[in-house]
Amino acid sequence: MSEQSSRVNVHSKLTAVSSKPVEPGKTHLLTPLDQAMGQHSLHLVFYYEKNPFGSFDLDPIRVSLSETLSLYPTVTGRLTRGESGNWEVKCNDSGVRVLRAKVSVGIDEWLRYGNGMEERDLAAWEDMPENPNTWSPFRIQVTELEGGGVAIGLNCSHMNADLTSLVLFFKTWTEAHRQQAIVYPPVFSSALHGRAVPVSDSKSAEHYVAKSFVEAPSVKMASTAFKFSNSVIKKCLSEIHVTCPDATPFDLLAALFWIPVARLNGSKHDHTHSISICIDFRRLLKEPLSYGYFGNALHFSVLSLGEKDLIPGELGHVAEAVHGHIAGMKEEEILSVMDWLESRKGEGGKYAQPFRMYGPELTCVSMEHMINGDQSLMYATMFEDNVRPAHVACHVGNVEGEGLIMVMPSPEGALARTVMVTLPEEEIAKLCEDEAILRLEPTMLLSGGL
Amino acid sequence: MPPTLPDFSSSVKLKYVKLGYQYLVNHILTLTLIPVMAGILVEVLRLGPKEIVNLWNSLHFDLVQILCSSFLIIFIATVYFMSKPRSIYLVDYACYKPPVTCRVPFATFMEHSRLILSNNPKSVEFQMRILERSGLGEETCLPPAIHYIPPTPTMEAARGEAEIVIFSAMDSLFKKTGLKPKDIDILIVNCSLFSPTPSLSAMVINKYKLRSNIKSFNLSGMGCSAGLISIDLARDLLQVHPNSNAVVVSTEIITPNYYKGNERAMLLPNCLFRMGGAAILLSNRRSERWRAKYRLVHVVRTHKGADDKAYRCVFEEEDKEGKVGISLSKDLMAIAGEALKSNITTIGPLVLPASEQLLFLLTLIGRKIFNPKWKPYIPDFKQAFEHFCIHAGGRAVIDELQKNLQLSAEHVEASRMALHRFGNTSSSSLWYEMSYIEAKGRMKRGDRIWQIAFGSGFKCNSAVWKCNRTIKTPTDGPWADCIDRYPVHIPEVVKL
Repeated sequence: MSEQSSRVNVHSKLTAVSSKPVEPGKTHLLTPLDQAMGQHSLHLVFYYEKNPFGSFDLDPIRVSLSETLSLYPTVTGRLTRGESGNWEVKCNDSGVRVLRAKVSVGIDEWLRYGNGMEERDLAAWEDMPENPNTWSPFRIQVTELEGGGVAIGLNCSHMNADLTSLVLFFKTWTEAHRQQAIVYPPVFSSALHGRAVPVSDSKSAEHYVAKSFVEAPSVKMASTAFKFSNSVIKKCLSEIHVTCPDATPFDLLAALFWIPVARLNGSKHDHTHSISICIDFRRLLKEPLSYGYFGNALHFSVLSLGEKDLIPGELGHVAEAVHGHIAGMKEEEILSVMDWLESRKGEGGKYAQPFRMYGPELTCVSMEHMINGDQSLMYATMFEDNVRPAHVACHVGNVEGEGLIMVMPSPEGALARTVMVTLPEEEIAKLCEDEAILRLEPTMLLSGGL
Repeated sequence: MPPTLPDFSSSVKLKYVKLGYQYLVNHILTLTLIPVMAGILVEVLRLGPKEIVNLWNSLHFDLVQILCSSFLIIFIATVYFMSKPRSIYLVDYACYKPPVTCRVPFATFMEHSRLILSNNPKSVEFQMRILERSGLGEETCLPPAIHYIPPTPTMEAARGEAEIVIFSAMDSLFKKTGLKPKDIDILIVNCSLFSPTPSLSAMVINKYKLRSNIKSFNLSGMGCSAGLISIDLARDLLQVHPNSNAVVVSTEIITPNYYKGNERAMLLPNCLFRMGGAAILLSNRRSERWRAKYRLVHVVRTHKGADDKAYRCVFEEEDKEGKVGISLSKDLMAIAGEALKSNITTIGPLVLPASEQLLFLLTLIGRKIFNPKWKPYIPDFKQAFEHFCIHAGGRAVIDELQKNLQLSAEHVEASRMALHRFGNTSSSSLWYEMSYIEAKGRMKRGDRIWQIAFGSGFKCNSAVWKCNRTIKTPTDGPWADCIDRYPVHIPEVVKL
């Protein structure tokens, strides 16, 4: 495929500051889990059909951004290596980099014919330099879609935040703008460190050990999104009700995509296929963390199924396996990973180098925790009353191996889901023709070029 | 601070002698008049009423003499009242408060400096040292165009800044005073470095649809002391035009003047100048006498431009790369000191009480005739004024003046805190300082205020105001949300 220059034209760069000065001398230490996510970056894009920004520089939205930034001193700080060589955020009130860009097409054309990889340019990443003291770890990009609409992109190093934190940061901004009470105010401290009596030989820890050793070959990836409506998911869930009565849409969709990807990957030497399931564990701990906890609270665990169970394509059966795996996730597993990460400390207390967390197996990320009945947190981000985002997209930088599947909420709400798929280029085209998937009548977004 | 009298002036006895001397000299007229009146009263009582009546009858008055005398008295009274200058009242003023999005924390300023001047680490170091010792705080503001990397100082952005600053200040002024745009007779706008066509005063006239026979003036290029020059101009105009309102707008537009090069002497203004503006309503109407805040007593202007060094000490020029910036010379402080001395010499006799003037005269005579080694007597201006507003040009200026005029920390508090909270806002800084004193509840009826401003040229201008009515707190104004946090201790060097 020929390499097009991106249609996203970044024309200005500025810095947005908080409305209140930060007390000098504040530092935020990153947890071992934060440090371990260092190889990845997060990109989140919110599309709105109507641009809520009037004049950019003096718009009230900028004022609400400044007020929001006052609540998040780590977002306006700068990364620095602390005494033991570990990353920490110096809360020095430097501000957040804001980029302004233009795209010549309108929102409908972009969503229908745009390229999934092009979407990353809406939350453009800048590699962290050797000395990050003038590098903004968080960046906000406001892209004006000249034919109508706006795309507000957020990106950050995965060390600073996970998807939940980033979504809630954006949600706090919209709540501050509408002068409403903030539902999930940020919390920065946590007890996410190793325990006094570490137990680091659990199955989960082994999974991480395996990740740290594998060097997956670099393959060109492509992305697209599949939107499944509420009625279709409902029908499908009722179909598999017999095998898996409590299936969530994530269970169903993870299974739905795993089966064709496993087929495309061909037979493995040990005749089993694995996926890495990524869930948010804020509420899974005995002392649950608030959703407002700002940092990484993700857990990766491996689920393996034999070829004979997977390849025939028994959706209910596979969904049952996924469901059982998630339901059986215990706090012990999660904390043992913390212990293992602590155990990898070198002399002077410096944590080991981060390795690829998303990969080498197909990674499936669940966002079910962000959905509360009919509403999802992602789509409750409104700058004006009742003006919801048209689409919310998410990408993770530096995904290798078999690929990434993220099951996210959909604008329709309830059981509807949007599945963001990142796979090697050759595979994704074939995936779009898979019958099982097409049977669910998905709307394809950003599938241009496939 | 060298004492001007012998060392034992700190002893209590001498303090009372000094107080006694001041009381005697300042009230000399009353003190001589009372014995004279007492003498006359005693004489009258001695004479007795009958004698007085006889004295009265012996004076022969005829009609012509009576008419002429009364005509003379009325004539003299009329000439007196006609030639008395009109009282100029400051009804109220409003200062611009920038939005929080324009805030410039030190870390952001230094980060932008490092990113833009990445090839000149020495210049970045220099800026950091200036910022550490500047006396500015973390809440000063720069216009939106300067927050971009690199800054985007287009003319459109400059006009945008002018509009937001001037119109906000004027809207605030209209709200505070109830003034209607149609009632403005005189409009003076001063902005030193941004002078578009049509002028900023034309911009104001267009926005508020002012009258077609308005007398408008736009002063540009006159530096940080232009605010008092505008007040002086307004005063002169209000002497000529009876029953008029004058609006003075003082501001400095930063957008087009942000220095983009790396010459050190020219980088200094980038570190100190910040966004700000003020709008002031002056009037000579009798009806404003009751609600006016201040009355203008004196304006004294001193220009040292005849001296070449003074003329070149604040100079706008191109650097080696052709980038335009304002170069500040190293002897700025010395020249400022000279200009101040010149100004004080003129203003001293107008405001100082007789006791201080007499002492000054005696020491002057003494130095000339007896012993030239006597230290010159620096008059105690604290006796002439309750409040001092020193232009917040920089920490060095305030320190220098505090030393020269022997002022206490409380006297210069308004200047230091305005510099900390708003930075050097050029001609409008005096108004932020006034606003601080009012917000602290220190402004009482009868208080005298001295505003001193320095500016390029080199000029030193002073204005003396007398407070017309006690100003009650809480005041609305730029200090409303933060006055409780002040005064703050400003360290000598802030660690960046």
